[in-house]
Amino acid sequence: MDQVTSSLAARSSQKTSAAAPPQQSAGSVAKRLSNELMTLMMSASPGISAFPKNDGNLFEWVGTIEGPSETIYADLTFRISISFPSNYPYVAPTIKFDTPCYHPNVDIASGAICLDILQDKWSAVYSVQTILLSLQSLLGEPNNNSPLNPEAASLWSKPQEFKAKLMHYYKPITADSS
Amino acid sequence: MATSALRTQVSTKFNESIHKLLAGTNTGGRAWTYTLDYLRPYDLKDRAALLRPKAGFDQAKLREALVTLHHSRQLGPLGEAFLEDVRKAFPLIEREINHYMATYEQTQDPDVFRQLLSRLRDWYNAWKPPNACAPSTSPPHQPIPNAPEPSLGLVFVLDYTQAFQTRLFASLPPSFAAGLKHLANLCLSPESHPPRVGRNGEPIDMGKTWTDVDVLGLLDRYESVISSVAFESIEKRVAETCPGKWDQPMLASLRLWMSQTVVQWMLEVFVRPYHPKGDVQPILSNIGTRFDYHVNKALCDVRISEIWDIIIDYPDTLAALEDLRECLTRVDERGALVKALRKQNATRLLHPGADTKVILGQYVSTIKCLRIIDPPGVLLYKVADPIRQYLRERPDTIRCIVASLVGDDESGDSLIEDNEPIQPIQQPEAEDYSDQNWDPEPIDAGPEFKTNKPSDVISTLVSIYDSKDLFVKELQVLLAQRLLAIKNNDMERIDKERRNIEILKIRFGEAALQVCEVMLRDMDDSKRTDGRVQDQKKSVVHPTIISHHFWPSLESSDLIMPGQFQGLQDSYAKEFSKFKPDKKLKWLPHLGLVTIGLELEDRTLNVDVPPLEAAFIELFSQRDVWTLDDLIPLCRRRGQERGCESADDVGEYGRTERADGEFVCVVGEGGGGRGDEGHSSLSTHALPAPTAAPNLPPVQTVQQQQAAQMHVHWKFVEGMLTNLGSLPLDRIHTMLKFAPGYDMTVDQLGSFMEAARREGLVVNQGGQWKLNR
Repeated sequence: MDQVTSSLAARSSQKTSAAAPPQQSAGSVAKRLSNELMTLMMSASPGISAFPKNDGNLFEWVGTIEGPSETIYADLTFRISISFPSNYPYVAPTIKFDTPCYHPNVDIASGAICLDILQDKWSAVYSVQTILLSLQSLLGEPNNNSPLNPEAASLWSKPQEFKAKLMHYYKPITADSS
Repeated sequence: MATSALRTQVSTKFNESIHKLLAGTNTGGRAWTYTLDYLRPYDLKDRAALLRPKAGFDQAKLREALVTLHHSRQLGPLGEAFLEDVRKAFPLIEREINHYMATYEQTQDPDVFRQLLSRLRDWYNAWKPPNACAPSTSPPHQPIPNAPEPSLGLVFVLDYTQAFQTRLFASLPPSFAAGLKHLANLCLSPESHPPRVGRNGEPIDMGKTWTDVDVLGLLDRYESVISSVAFESIEKRVAETCPGKWDQPMLASLRLWMSQTVVQWMLEVFVRPYHPKGDVQPILSNIGTRFDYHVNKALCDVRISEIWDIIIDYPDTLAALEDLRECLTRVDERGALVKALRKQNATRLLHPGADTKVILGQYVSTIKCLRIIDPPGVLLYKVADPIRQYLRERPDTIRCIVASLVGDDESGDSLIEDNEPIQPIQQPEAEDYSDQNWDPEPIDAGPEFKTNKPSDVISTLVSIYDSKDLFVKELQVLLAQRLLAIKNNDMERIDKERRNIEILKIRFGEAALQVCEVMLRDMDDSKRTDGRVQDQKKSVVHPTIISHHFWPSLESSDLIMPGQFQGLQDSYAKEFSKFKPDKKLKWLPHLGLVTIGLELEDRTLNVDVPPLEAAFIELFSQRDVWTLDDLIPLCRRRGQERGCESADDVGEYGRTERADGEFVCVVGEGGGGRGDEGHSSLSTHALPAPTAAPNLPPVQTVQQQQAAQMHVHWKFVEGMLTNLGSLPLDRIHTMLKFAPGYDMTVDQLGSFMEAARREGLVVNQGGQWKLNR
C-alpha cells in the first residue's frame, strides 16, 4: 500500500514534466519495478546489482557495476544511480555514475552517460538488468565515435596513459558511501 | 484539713498490726501450724505418711483454725507457704517420673507409661488440698469490708493445680511426648498393637488413663502431639490406599473411614464424661475440621504427585480427577499442582525424545483433565503455556495436528473424539462489555490470562499458532500427498478426502479451503479428461492433471523418460492439446508408477515400479551390460547416487551385479521391460509404490517452501548490502518489504542475519550489517 501512495507522490511531483502516457496507473509502474527487482535479485549475473535507495520509494535505485575482467576496468567497482520516471517503462530511466568514471562515453564531472539504449534506442522491453549489463559491456567496449569525454576517447588507444588517468579520478566505494 | 483522714488511716494500720501480733503469738500461731501440717505434701512411698489418714485431723478444729487464720488474714500467706512445701516435696515426684521413664525407654511398654500417668494422678490427688476444709460456712462478719472472701476453696485448689502442673511440666523429660504419642497411637489403631490387656490380664481402662491425662493438664499441653497421631494415621491411610487408585473416588471412603476410626478415637481421648456438653462441641468441631482438612491435604498431595500419570491414563482416571477437584476447593494447593505438572512436563514430555504426536496427545489430555479440575481454565493456562511454546518450536506440529484433523489412517487414536460436535474454529474474541453474565477472573489468574469460553480441543490446538493460515497451507500439502497417493483413480478414496475437506470447511471456513476444493476437482477433471483422450486414441498412459497454480509446489525433476515411455508421453500430450488447446502438459514423470511385465528366462513377473526403475529395466532390454556413465545421460539424472540406487533397485526384479561401475543384467535375455505388454499406467503424479526405495516426498513441505523463501530473502539482503553499503537491522527490515512474501519480524530477521554471519557471509560492525568481502 505504501508503495502505491509513495509512487503516487512521485508521480504528482513529476506530473508537469512527464507528458507522455499519462493515464497509466502508478501502481502498475511500481508493480513492474518490483518485478524487475525480484528478477534482478534472483538472477545470478556476476558484477551487476541494484536496489532501491529507500524503503517505500521504488523509483530511486542505487546500482553497482564491477568492471569486466580482462578490461582496463577490471577490479574496479562503480556506483551508479538510477532514477525511474513515473511513466516507466515507456521512458528510459535516468542513469548516471556516482563514482567518477573516466570513460569516453561518460562525463567525468556529472557522471552522465551516453548510451543509445538510454536515449533514442530505448524500448519498454529493456529492464534494469539489461541496462546494467549494457553498461558493464560499455566499460570494456566504448563507442569512441560519440564521446562525452573526448580526452578519454583519444587516450583509449594508449592503455598505460588511460589507466593512469582512470586511477587518478577513480575513488573506491566505501562501505557507508550510500 | 486532711488530718482527720490521715488519723483514721493511721489508726487502722495500728489496729491491724496489733491483730497480727496477737494472732501470731497465741491462737494464730497454733492455727497456722495445724493447718499447714494438715496440708503438708507427703511421700506416697512413705508407708507411715500413707497410714496417717487425713481423717485423723479434727474437722472442727481445722475449721476453727482456718477461721482464725482468715480473721487474721493469714490465708494468702498460708497458701504461699503450702505451695512452697509442694515445691520442696516435688523431687519425690521427679524421682518417680525418672524411674518410670527410664523403664519405659528400655521396654517401650506403653503399660509402664500408663502406670506413670496413673501414679502421677495419685500424687496429684494426694497433695490436693481437700475442698472439705474450705471455710465456706465461715461467719459472714468481716472486720475490713474490702478484704477478700476467706476461702481455702476453689482459688486455693486452682493455685495448687497450676503450681503442680508447672512443676510437673518442668520435670517431664523430652521422651515423655513420645510416650504419650505412643499411647495415643495405641488407642487409635489397636489392631497394630498388643491387645489392651494389662500385665496381669485385666482389661485396661483407657478411659481412665485419658482422664488421668486430662486431670494432670497434659491433654491441653500435649494436644498437638496427640493430634499429630491422628494426622499421621490419616497420612498413612492415604498413602496405603490411594496411590495408583485412580478409577474410583477415594475421598468419600476416606471420610467414612475417618468417621469410624479417627472420630471414635477423638471422642475417647478428648471427651470426658464430666465435661459439660457445651464445651465438647466446639472442641470436636474444631479438631474435626482440622482432620478433614488433613484428609483433603493428604489426598491432594498424593494426587498432585501423580498428576502426570493420571493425565496419561485419562479418561480412566476421572474419579481421581474429581477427588482432586473437591480437595482443591478445601486446600489451596493450586500453585503446587501447577508447579508439579510443569516440572513433570518439562522432564518427561518436552524433550527431543518425545514424539510430537505424543506431546499433542498429552496436551489434549491435559486440556481435558484440567478442565475437570478447574473449569475456568486458570490452571490450564498456566500449565499449557510451556507446552504451547515448545510445540510452536517443533517443526512437525502443524503436520501432526492437521494429520489428526483429517483422521490419518495410520494414527490409531485420533486427537479428536468422534462424538465431539464439529464446531468452527473459535478465534479469541474481544471482551464483551455488555455481557450480563460476566464473571470476574479467578483470583489466581495471571495478567495474561483471558477468560475464554471452554472451546473445543481443536480450536485450542489451532490457537497455538497465531493464525490458522499455516494450518490451511499444511493441509493443502497433506491433501496433495494423499491425493497423489491414490492409485488408479480410486473414487472411494477421493470421496473420503472430499468428506474430510467438507468437515474441515466447517472448522476453518469455506473460503480458507477454496484451494483444496480446486485440488479435489482436478482429480475428477483429470479422470474425465483422460476418458476423453483415451476415446480419441488409446494409450497406456493415465495422467493425473493438476493445476499448477493451486497445488503446493511439487518437487521438479530433470528425468527424461527414455525409449518408449517418452514416446507414450508425447503422443498423449499431443492428444491432450487437441482437446484443450489453451493448456500445456508439463510432465512430472518421476512421480508416476509403471506396471510392467518382465519376461525372464524362467518366469514372468508383473511388477509396479517407479518410472525411473522402469526406464532402467527397459534399457537392459537393449543391451545386457551398461556402465553407470552410459546410463546417466540417457535419463539426464543429476548425480550418480540416484542412478546407482535405482540400478540397484532394478536388481530386486531381475538381478544385476555391480562390478566396477558396470551393471550386468544376469537373468535371462529378453528380460527387458516390454512395458506395452502389461497394463502400464503412467500417471503424471502419483506417489511411488511403497516398495520404491528412493521415496522422497513429492510435495514440498512447508519447511522446504520456507527454505526457498529464505533464499529469496537472502538474495534481497545481498543486493541491498551490495548497493547501499552497511545498514542497521531495522533498515534492512523495512527494505525487505520489497521482497515478496516477506513476513519476518525484526527479531526473526535478526537471527536470520546472525545465521548469515556465522556462515561468514556478512559482518556486523556496531549494529551495521555489511557484506563480508
